[in-house]
Amino acid sequence: MTIDGYTVSPLSFNGGDIGKLSVCGSANDLSVRGARPQYLALGVIAEEGLPIRELMTYMESAANVCRSLGIELVTGDSKVVPRGQVDGLFLSTCCIGRTTQTTPLGAANLRPGDSIILSCPPGMHGATIAAHRYGLKVRGLSSDCAALWPMIEPLLPVPGLRCMRDCTRGGLGTVLCEWSEAAGLGIEIDEEMIPWDEATLSVCDILGFDPLHMAGEGCAAIAVSGEDPDRALGLLRAHSLGERASVIGRVTEKHQGMVGIRTVSGGTRLVDRPVGELLPRIC
Amino acid sequence: MQVRRPDDMRERIRMLSGALRGLADRPVKVMEVCGTHTVSIFRQGLRALLPPDVELVSGPGCPVCVTSQGEIDAAVSLAGLSGTTVATYGDMLKVPGSGTTLEEERSRGADIRVVTSADQALSMARGDRKRNVVFVAVGFETTAPATASVVIDAVREDLDNFMVLNLHKSVPPALEALASDPEVKLDALLLPGHVSVITGLEPYRFLPEKYGIACAVAGFDAEDIMLALVEVTKQVRKQEPLVASLYGRAVRPLGNTEARSVMEKVFTMKDASWRGLGVIPSSGYSLREEFSRLDVLERLGMTVNSTLPPEGCMCGEVLKGLIDPPSCGLFGASCTPVHPVGPCMVSTEGSCAAFYRFQRGRRTDWEHLP
Ligand code: SF4
Repeated sequence: MTIDGYTVSPLSFNGGDIGKLSVCGSANDLSVRGARPQYLALGVIAEEGLPIRELMTYMESAANVCRSLGIELVTGDSKVVPRGQVDGLFLSTCCIGRTTQTTPLGAANLRPGDSIILSCPPGMHGATIAAHRYGLKVRGLSSDCAALWPMIEPLLPVPGLRCMRDCTRGGLGTVLCEWSEAAGLGIEIDEEMIPWDEATLSVCDILGFDPLHMAGEGCAAIAVSGEDPDRALGLLRAHSLGERASVIGRVTEKHQGMVGIRTVSGGTRLVDRPVGELLPRIC
Repeated sequence: MQVRRPDDMRERIRMLSGALRGLADRPVKVMEVCGTHTVSIFRQGLRALLPPDVELVSGPGCPVCVTSQGEIDAAVSLAGLSGTTVATYGDMLKVPGSGTTLEEERSRGADIRVVTSADQALSMARGDRKRNVVFVAVGFETTAPATASVVIDAVREDLDNFMVLNLHKSVPPALEALASDPEVKLDALLLPGHVSVITGLEPYRFLPEKYGIACAVAGFDAEDIMLALVEVTKQVRKQEPLVASLYGRAVRPLGNTEARSVMEKVFTMKDASWRGLGVIPSSGYSLREEFSRLDVLERLGMTVNSTLPPEGCMCGEVLKGLIDPPSCGLFGASCTPVHPVGPCMVSTEGSCAAFYRFQRGRRTDWEHLP
């Protein structure tokens, strides 16, 4: 079971809207734990004055995700609050799923030599929202907001599947830092192997953000045992969401609790996680 | 942040690193003046690729880092005024004044908004004539022209609800202060490309001529920086210091004359207090008489208090390149990006933050990475 609240400004963005986001987000949290999302409860808090028609389009996109995943909406609640008390619309979803995994997936399963796979370009959702927020127009920019279950389901029987995470708030960098700390192992990644999205990089360039800190909403980091990353990779690439999946690094015994990256220039540094809200730099 | 990846980037950087190794026949202390350079060097992990004789130190070119605590306090107290919106660049939000930060005040309900340009602040003032909008204007020659131009617009449009807390500073006088400081002893400087587009090369000529410092104006990606390091190392080796421009045709000897004339029209130079460096003569941009009614300090009769740096914080020494951040006793102990003590740990462009985030101290030994 998972629960999460969703606020996003703008409510509708290139690649999705708050309705789609609210179902994908909670369903993805279950999916990466190996559980098929099955039941959903939805809470709606709307600001007075939000056009009904607009609200209905968000509900429709939420319903679409439910239909495509076979999720049953079992209960819900809605409230209207006076102007100014929420920013347009606030959704919260609670999702229940069922897992058939015998050993739970988690960072505790990580072993030196494991491969780290990334399913798609990191940071696309975060970059899309940031561009909107700071008034940037970048061609080809779109959120990766998507339900991961159909891509993940075929992976679950792969022996040696260690753990998975959707790289939401804090981005890929944060997920890897959490893994390395939780497992007490090091992680090394290669910037050249990451399947970058050019538009996301442009936004980060302009605002001074680290693309490894930008959130995705349909992007999973997956750790599998080192011997056979190809099988997992093949299964991922067979799905449209995982077309650009790539092995980006590995788990090591060295530099425990830290994540190192070989940069595109061939230099090396640590990967950190962002502190607080990402704020654009001065010039 | 640069993540461009031409196919043979690693190969080209490797060759430049080899060239640097061959050229460095004596210790060369190079200061990268600008925070954007600092971040790029760390983000690309370039320190790991330098020969031991080439030492990089970070300079005072992070606008947030050199903003004094008293100036932050002034911004905070403006945010507390009723009917007032404070608009500023994102980096400023987390910098501690003597009591609190703009971010904390925002969470307590103050109307503080992040803008990415001076224009956006002016639009806020246009949009709601009943609210006062104070633009906290920070930065060097890159952002000062934009402030100058909104000041002109605000006067033309008679927007009397728009005011500026003007904290703009100028890079060349700070370099003069460093160059003339007998303690500092720099061999070379990497000068920021974007500032130089505005200032031109003339204001830097005194560096090689008077102080024998090798200079290169450089762009911000890894290759630009490595090329600039090769250039200054060559100058040091030949003992022929000069100001080389590697930033392409955008940098003209006299700079961007249009931007400079707008700045000339709006600003006059005054002495300014830099955090860590003290008062530097003629290093601050101040609004000329005819624009002074936009100056929020003047309009409200406020003054900026001078305050002492936080105890134990060695930002001053860091900004002068006298010590590297891990040499500060508080580094990584009581001062981290989550609980910063000084501004050099707050700003994403501060060198303490860069040392902590990207190296966790001095370590660059990730040699066995793939
Ligand atoms: S580590 Fe912290 S206290 Fe020390 S100089 Fe840097 S910012 Fe100041």
